[in-house]
Amino acid sequence: MIWLRITGCVLVTASCGALGILKARQWQSHRKMLETLRRMVYLLRGEILYAMSPLHEALERVGRKSDGPAAVWFCRMAERLGRQEGETFSRVWKEELDRQAKAMLLSAREHTELAEFGEHLGYLDVGMQERTIALYLEQLDLSIGFMREHEQERTRMCTCLGIMGGLFLAVILC
Amino acid sequence: MEKKDELLRIFAGPIREMLGRAALNWDNVQEIRLRVGRPVFVVCGGEEYVLTEEGARRGNAGAAGQIAMSVGMANQITGNVRAAGRIAKRAGEAGRTPGQVETSDRAGAYQATPQDLRETLEYVSSHSLYAFEEEIRQGFITIQGGHRIGLAGKTVMDGRGVRTIKYISFLNVRLAHQVRGCADRIMPYLLENGQALHALFISPPRCGKTTLLRDVIRQMSDGRGFTVGVVDERSELAACWQGIPQNDLGARTDVLDCCPKAIGMMMLVRAMSPEVIAVDEIGGREDIDAMRYAMNCGCRVLATVHGDSLEDVARKPVLGEMVSEGMFDRYIVLSSREGVGTVEEIKDGDGKCLHSENRAKSANRKEGEEGGRL
Repeated sequence: MIWLRITGCVLVTASCGALGILKARQWQSHRKMLETLRRMVYLLRGEILYAMSPLHEALERVGRKSDGPAAVWFCRMAERLGRQEGETFSRVWKEELDRQAKAMLLSAREHTELAEFGEHLGYLDVGMQERTIALYLEQLDLSIGFMREHEQERTRMCTCLGIMGGLFLAVILC
Repeated sequence: MEKKDELLRIFAGPIREMLGRAALNWDNVQEIRLRVGRPVFVVCGGEEYVLTEEGARRGNAGAAGQIAMSVGMANQITGNVRAAGRIAKRAGEAGRTPGQVETSDRAGAYQATPQDLRETLEYVSSHSLYAFEEEIRQGFITIQGGHRIGLAGKTVMDGRGVRTIKYISFLNVRLAHQVRGCADRIMPYLLENGQALHALFISPPRCGKTTLLRDVIRQMSDGRGFTVGVVDERSELAACWQGIPQNDLGARTDVLDCCPKAIGMMMLVRAMSPEVIAVDEIGGREDIDAMRYAMNCGCRVLATVHGDSLEDVARKPVLGEMVSEGMFDRYIVLSSREGVGTVEEIKDGDGKCLHSENRAKSANRKEGEEGGRL
């Protein structure tokens, strides 16, 4: 019976520790996703400022060049805009963002910032696009900076909390 | 059907729906004009139609689209007119000249709203007006299919000229069309011993010189096997969309789109080694210099210019120089006297008449009279 208890305690501690590690990994994945998004926005800026490509073309090219959920989101938008079904750009942007937000691991604040970015994209001239993109990149840099700054402590905290939580549960269950 | 679908996509919701339901022969549609607060006009087969809205009156699904049309156009309608759609021969009923729409017709006509134009512009530019800054400056946007959207509104000026157009309240959707074979009659005059000749097409606006030049380019490229370079400053000849010509200019034709003529001719000579260079609507000193450069490099030049006759062009300050220098081997003068694209006369470099429409007619008449006498 004691062996059963010991096995149970080990399993509970291990699974809680794994949950903690998973949570820490999520933080890293989130940071990596934001970095990918930043790279894609840089590419988008190049397409708009240098090649003067219309948005659906620019989104398609950038989406094809990249990987991950953000790339899927770009491709979906490009496809929908290409169909020209009489939808505004901001609507397509927002609806597709809502659809992909979970996969992109966006926080509520990042989601709002990204939605606002889409509302202003395509408005007026190239100079306006440049400023809109620059503003969003600034916001993105802040988010990435915050994620990087707190990554180590967050990773440690999640891992420790997981293991400690597991031990605590094991003690209570025993 | 494909052309219709392709076109309808660029219009704002209400106009898109009405046009979609209207029983029009889309192969004959030439222009669709949108003006804020004014009826939407459709020019089809040379006649003018006004788009009307009857949805509320009928109250059944799919009943809103209808076209008020002038007499003589009913035979151009294809397919069955839907039970919902109605064709009103308004001009005939009102005892007016066919093709004219009276102000009273506005009563039942759909009036385009500022929102309609804004939305249409958004779709025309693929939600990216910034990508068409240069085109807007020039007053038109070319879309897929080679159709051109003419824009008018309030211009914003800067030191360089027109910076942009704001409050765009007038749109003219001009459908691309090409008349294959329209240059058949003049092609023998443009060649000598298998070599292309320098040719200048002279005509007043809307007399078909661009359409004729387009077919000449195609025939030079496909039929005669010349490598042709086209400098298409206003995207009229090739109507490029995303760099791909939407009009058929032949298999051996390279197009430099939206490029100033003078620079473009130099670029083509250096980069693409064309045997024939074609440009539309020359006028400035730099155009003449670039043509001279291309001719000196051994290229044959095909160009168009606005004018009534060779004498008219010869009187113009800059263009007169090229006539007096004998830069061109052929001058083709067009008019719309007997329909768009009437070839009035063809002259050689010395101004000697090689073909004259009047002379040909009087010769035909004479032959007929002699035949009658015999």
